Amino acid sequence: MSDQPAIEQPSSGEGPPSPAARLGALQRAGGIVPPILTALLAFFVGGIVVAASGHNPLTTYKEIFAGTGLNWFLQVGSYEVGLPFSDATVWFPWETNDINSEAAFNLQQTLLLWVPLVMTGLAVAFAFRCGLFNIGGQGQYIVGAGVGVWVGSSWVDMNPGLHIVLAIGLAALAGAFWAGIAGFLKATVGAHEVITTIMLNWIAYWIWIFAFGQGGPLQNKVNESVPVSSDVAEGAKLPVFWGDPLLQGLHIGFIVATVALVAYWLTLTRTTLGYEVRAVGFNPEAARYGGINVARSYILAMAIAGMFAGIGGALDILGWQFRLGVIDIQNSAIGFIGIAVALLGRNTAIGVALSALLFGALLNGTSTRNLDPEVFQPELAGNLTLMIQALVVLFVGADLLILALWARAKRIGRGRHSGAPVAGTPT
Amino acid sequence: MIARAEQAGANVDRLFAARNLAIAGIAVSAIGFWIVLPPLTQRSLVWPVALGILGTLFGIAAVSRGVKRLGWWAVVLGIASIGLGIAATNSSVGHLDSVVVWSALFASMLRYATPLTFAAIGGMFSERSGVVNIALEGMMLAGAFFGILAAQKSGSWAFGLVAAMGAGAALALIHAFFSIHLRADQIVSGTAINFLALGVTGYFFVDVYGELGTPSEIPRIPDVHLPLDKIPTGIGTFLDDVFGQMNLMIWLSFLLLIVSYVVMFKTPVGLRIRAVGEHPRAADTVGINVYLVRYASVTVSGILAALGGAYLSIGFLGSFNENMTAGRGFIALAALIFGAWRPFGAFSAALLFGFSSALAQRLPEYSGSAATLFQALPYVLTLIAVAGVIGRSIPPAAVGRPYRKQ
Amino acid sequence: MAEEAAPKVLELKGITKEFPGILANDRIDFDLRRGEVHALLGENGAGKSTLMNILYGLYSPDSGEILVKGKPARFHGPGDAIEAGIGMVHQHFMLIPVMSVAENIVLATEPRKAGFLLDEDTAMKRVEDLADTFRFRIDPHAKVENISVGQQQRVEILKALYRGADVLILDEPTAVLTPQEALELFAILRNLTREGMSVIFITHKLNEVLEIADRITVLRRGKRIDSVPKAGATEDHLARLMVGRDVLLRVEKKAPQPGETLLKVENVSVVDDRGLPAVRGVSFEVKAGEIVGIAGVDGNGQTELIDAITGLRSLEEGQVTIGGKDVTNGNARRVLDAGMGHIPEDRHRRGLVLDFTLAENIALHDYREEPDSRFGWLFPKRLIARARRLLKAFDVRGGGPTTKASALSGGNQQKVVVAREVERDPRVLLAAQPTRGLDVGAIEFVHRRLVEERDQGRAIMLVSLELDEILSLSDRILVMFEGEVVGEYSPDVTPEELGAAMTGVGREQVVA
Repeated sequence: MSDQPAIEQPSSGEGPPSPAARLGALQRAGGIVPPILTALLAFFVGGIVVAASGHNPLTTYKEIFAGTGLNWFLQVGSYEVGLPFSDATVWFPWETNDINSEAAFNLQQTLLLWVPLVMTGLAVAFAFRCGLFNIGGQGQYIVGAGVGVWVGSSWVDMNPGLHIVLAIGLAALAGAFWAGIAGFLKATVGAHEVITTIMLNWIAYWIWIFAFGQGGPLQNKVNESVPVSSDVAEGAKLPVFWGDPLLQGLHIGFIVATVALVAYWLTLTRTTLGYEVRAVGFNPEAARYGGINVARSYILAMAIAGMFAGIGGALDILGWQFRLGVIDIQNSAIGFIGIAVALLGRNTAIGVALSALLFGALLNGTSTRNLDPEVFQPELAGNLTLMIQALVVLFVGADLLILALWARAKRIGRGRHSGAPVAGTPT
Repeated sequence: MIARAEQAGANVDRLFAARNLAIAGIAVSAIGFWIVLPPLTQRSLVWPVALGILGTLFGIAAVSRGVKRLGWWAVVLGIASIGLGIAATNSSVGHLDSVVVWSALFASMLRYATPLTFAAIGGMFSERSGVVNIALEGMMLAGAFFGILAAQKSGSWAFGLVAAMGAGAALALIHAFFSIHLRADQIVSGTAINFLALGVTGYFFVDVYGELGTPSEIPRIPDVHLPLDKIPTGIGTFLDDVFGQMNLMIWLSFLLLIVSYVVMFKTPVGLRIRAVGEHPRAADTVGINVYLVRYASVTVSGILAALGGAYLSIGFLGSFNENMTAGRGFIALAALIFGAWRPFGAFSAALLFGFSSALAQRLPEYSGSAATLFQALPYVLTLIAVAGVIGRSIPPAAVGRPYRKQ
Repeated sequence: MAEEAAPKVLELKGITKEFPGILANDRIDFDLRRGEVHALLGENGAGKSTLMNILYGLYSPDSGEILVKGKPARFHGPGDAIEAGIGMVHQHFMLIPVMSVAENIVLATEPRKAGFLLDEDTAMKRVEDLADTFRFRIDPHAKVENISVGQQQRVEILKALYRGADVLILDEPTAVLTPQEALELFAILRNLTREGMSVIFITHKLNEVLEIADRITVLRRGKRIDSVPKAGATEDHLARLMVGRDVLLRVEKKAPQPGETLLKVENVSVVDDRGLPAVRGVSFEVKAGEIVGIAGVDGNGQTELIDAITGLRSLEEGQVTIGGKDVTNGNARRVLDAGMGHIPEDRHRRGLVLDFTLAENIALHDYREEPDSRFGWLFPKRLIARARRLLKAFDVRGGGPTTKASALSGGNQQKVVVAREVERDPRVLLAAQPTRGLDVGAIEFVHRRLVEERDQGRAIMLVSLELDEILSLSDRILVMFEGEVVGEYSPDVTPEELGAAMTGVGREQVVA
C-alpha cells in the first residue's frame, strides 16, 4: 500500500486498538501455542514460589494433578463398565462406587466447577467480541444464583421440569438485566463498562447479603440464626447423570454448559446478531457505516453476556449447592476466574472450554478434600491457584507484547528496504 | 465584543444566583436532617417535611437555571431529608439516641475513611497520569499483609510501614511495566495484580502464620493523644471524643490530603502529571518524559494504597486475615471517581462512604438487614455519578490509553 | 520587507525522503531568511508536510543536509529542533484543553517559587509580557477549551516563542480559521517578522500566499518546482506551477444522457465535530446517468457533506432526497435502503472491517436480508459463494472469500469496497476519493467502473481532491470552498481555472 505517510495526520493511530481487535490479531497470529506457553510459564513461576517456601514443586504439582481427576482419562482400557439402559460397554471407570473410581469422582468434581467457569468465561468472552470488557461476570453470576435459589425454593409443588426451566430462565433474565444496565449506560451516555460493571458487582453482592442475611427478606424461615437461603425444592434440583447424587455427582448442567458453548459459537458465526456484535467489536465506525445499530449491539452483547453468567449461577445452585448463604456469596470468585478463562481461551468456544477445564481442575485439585497436607497444605494450594491465575492473566497481556514486537520487527524489516525510520525519539 | 462580554457577565451572574439557590437548597435540607436527630430530636413531622420540600424546590429551581450538579444534589438531599424525617419521627427517642451518638459516629467515620483516603489519593496519582488503576485493592492488601509481617518480625511498626510501602511499590511497578512499557490493557493488568496480591498474601499468610493467624501482640501504629478535653464545656468533650485519640495514620491522611493537593495543583510536577494524563503527545512535544512521569505516578499510587492497607492491619485492627481489604480498594476507586479525580473530592467521598460504614456499624441496633444494604451506597452513588445523572464525573482524557512514542 | 541582505537563518539542501512506494521529497532545496515569510505552496501530497517534519526532527532524511544559521545540524527529535530555535504550530494543536493558556505555554519550563511551587503569577506575567511584545490579544487565565480556535493557534505560537524560537513553521494555519481569524493571524505574523522572526507558511491557498508571503516555493509531487518572490507573482502563474500540466488520465466515455433527478441536496448546513459550521447552505442535484464531481481542497466541508448525505451525521438544516424519498437525518440503514451506494473516503476507518473476511465485508450492508440470512440465521456458505463471484468479477487478487481484509493491498481492498457498493444496484453512487492511495492500474479500473455505472443509469456523485480525476470523469463539476459551493463548471474547464476557484481566488475575504 502506498498510503500517505502516517505523520500527515498526527491524530491517527493514537487510540489503542479495541480489545476485540487486539484479540482478533492474537487469533490470527500464534494459534494455540501462546496460550499454552502462557499457562506453562504461569505454572513455572508458581513452582518457583512453592520452592521458595520450602516445598517440592514437582511433588506438589503431581499431588494436585492426582486430585483433579484428569488421570481418569489416562485409564482408558483398564476398565470395562456396562452403560446403563444398553448392552454397550465403555472402557472408563464410570461407576463411582467402584473401588478404583476415585479418579471418576474427582473428575466429576472438576467438571462441576467446569460448568460455571464455562458460563462466566463465556460472559466475558461474548462481551469481548463486541469490544467490551465485562468484568462484571461475578455480579451477574451471583445475581443468577440468587434468583435461582429464590425461584428454586419457592413454589415447592411445581412440576419439576417446569420448575427447573423457570428457575434457570428467570436467572438468565436477571443476569441479562444486570449486565444490560452496563450495556445501556455504555450505549447512551458512554459510561465506561469496566467501572459500571465493577460497581454492579458490589451492588449485587450487598443486595444478596442483605436479602439472605440475618433478618433479610429471603432468609430461610427454619433457622433464623443462620444467614442462608431456604433450600431448593427437590423438584427444582438438577438430575445427576454421572455419579452419586448424594455425593455431588455431575448434574445435567454439564450438558447446559456444553450447549452454551455451541450456542456461543453458533451465535457468533451463524447469526446476524453475532455478525453485528463482531463488526462492532472490530470497528464500530465501519459497523455504523454498514447500517448496524451500534448502541443496540452494545446493549444486546452485554445482556447476552449477563445471561450466560446468570445461568451459570443458577446451575450451581440447582445442581449441587441447593442453598445460598452469606458465606457463599463472600467466598465466591467464579465470575472473576471467568475473566482468566476467557482471556486464556482467547474468547473462542473451544478455548473457553479448555481453559475452564484447566482452572476447574486446578481449583478442585487444590481443594482441602483432595490435597494431602503431608505433601502440601491445601490452604497454601488455594492461594497458589490464585497466583497461577494472576500470572496467566498478566502473561496474556505480555503475549500481546510479543505479538506487537513481532509485528514491529516485520515493519522495521520492511522499512529498511526503503529508508529506515527516525532513530531518535522525542523524550 | 463588548456586548458579548456583557452578555457573558450576565450569564455568570445568573449562574451565580442559581448556584446560591442550590446551596440554599442543600443547607435547608441539611437543617431538616439535623433537627430530627439527637440532640434536638424534633418529634413533629411538619418541620422536616417542610424543609425537605423547600430544599427540593430550591434544587429544581437551580437545575432549571443550569446548575445541574449542585441542583440535583439539593433535590436528592431534600427528598432524603423527608424520608429521614418520616423514619426518625416514627422511631423511639431511645433508639435514636443509641444510634446517633455524633462524636462516636464521627470518630468511627474517620477510622473507616482513612484507608479509603490513602488508596483513593494514590489512585488519583496513577489515573491523573493516564494509567487506570483498578489494582488498588491488591496494593492495599499487599500493604496490609507485608506491613503486619514486617512489624511483627522486627517489632517496629515503623518498619512495618516501610515494608508495606515496598510491597505496594513492587506491585505498582509490575502494573506500570505491563501497562506502560508493554502497552498491555491496563484493566487486564490491574485484574491480574488483584489476583496476584490475593494469592501472594494468602500464601505467605498461611505459610508464616498457619491456622493460628497473626499473634495478638503486634506493634501497632500509635494513637496521638491530644488534651482536647481541657477545652471547657461540651465542645471539649465532643472534640476529645472525635479527635483526642486518633491514630497517627489518620493525622497522616489529613497531611497527605493537603500535600497531594499542593503537589497536584500547585507545583510543576503536578502540572506535568496532569499534562501527561490529558494529552501525552502534547507533553512529549515540549520535552516531558511521558514514561517516567507515568512510572513515578503509578509507583506513588502503589505506595499510598499500601499505606492505607497497612493502617487496616497494624493501625486499626492489629491483625490480618485473608482478603481482609474485602473490596475497600474498589470503594476507594469509587471515591476517586465520585470525587472527580481531585484530592478534596476523593476525601469528601471517602468521608461520605466512611460515614455510611460507621452508620451501618451502629444501625444493627435498629435493623440488621437495613445496615447491610447501606454498604452498597458507595457503589450506587458512583454508578449514578458515572452515568452523569447528577453532574458527570469526567476522567483525565488519556486515561487507559497506552502511549506510543513517535 | 525582507531585504536581499538579510542573512539565511535556515537552509535545506538536497533533502530526499522516501516512504514505501512514495518518493515524498526528491532533492529539495529550501532556504529561509531572517525576517521573512516564506510560503511553501503545493497540493495535498506534494511533500510539504514531510519536508517540515524533517525540519522539525520528526523524520530523518534519507539524504541531504540542514544548515541552521550556516552551521550543519542534525535533529533527532523535536527537542533538538526546539533547541535550535525552531518552533512548529501543528495543524492539530498540541494543547491541553482543560488547562489555562499560561499553563499550556509554560509547561515543562515552569517558573518556580520557594523552590518547588509553581509560580503562577510569574507565569501569567511572562505570558502577558510575551503577548504584549508581539501585540497578541490573549487572556492567560482562560482555559484553552473555552477560547476560539484562532486564539488556540495564538497559544501555540506563543508556546514556540516562549521556548525561544526564531523560526516558526505554520502547517496549514488557516485551515481551521474563519476568514476574519486568518486576517488577524496575518497581522500577527507581520508583527513577528518585524521583530526579526522568520516564518515558514505551509498552504495550498493562493490568495493567502499573495497576501502574506515574501517569497514562495512551490512543490509538486515531491519536487521543488520553483521559488519566486512575491513581487511579480500572479495567481495564474502560481496555480499553473502548483497543479502542473500533467498528462490527464483520459477515460473513454460517451456523452452523458441525464435522466431524472435521483439525488437532491437542498440548502444543507452541517457542523463539524467541534460544532463549527462546516457546510453552509449547499444545494445541488445529481441526475441518473451523469457524474457530478465535487472538487475542492481538503477540509472545505466535503467530508461533512458526505456524512450528512449518507446518514452518518445530522443536519443543522436542509433536506436530502434519494430517488424522491426523503432521507434527511436518517441513519445509514435508511439511506442504504433508499438506494444509496457509498464508497467511503477512508476504507480502513469505515469502508472495511479489517479483521473480517472478504466474504463478511462484502455482506456488510445486506447481511440481514436474503439470501445472506433468514430470520436472523446467517448462511456463511452463501456469503462465500457471492464473494467468490464478486471477487472474480472485480478481479480482486491476493486472497479469496475467507481471507481477512487486512491481508489485501490497498488497491484490492478498494476493489472489494467498489464491488460491494456496486453489487447492490444502487440508484445513487457516492464515491469519495475512490482512488486514494491506489496504483495506476487500480485507478484505471475504478475510473472505468464509475463510467460504466453511469452508463447504466446511476446517478454518481464523485468527491475527490485530485483535479485530474475530477476533470476526466465528471460531466459537471462543482467546487466547494469553505463549506459552500462556489461555482459550477463544465468538464472542459482548464485546471488553472478550477485550481483558482478551489483556492478561493476571486472571492473577497469577508472583512467584518
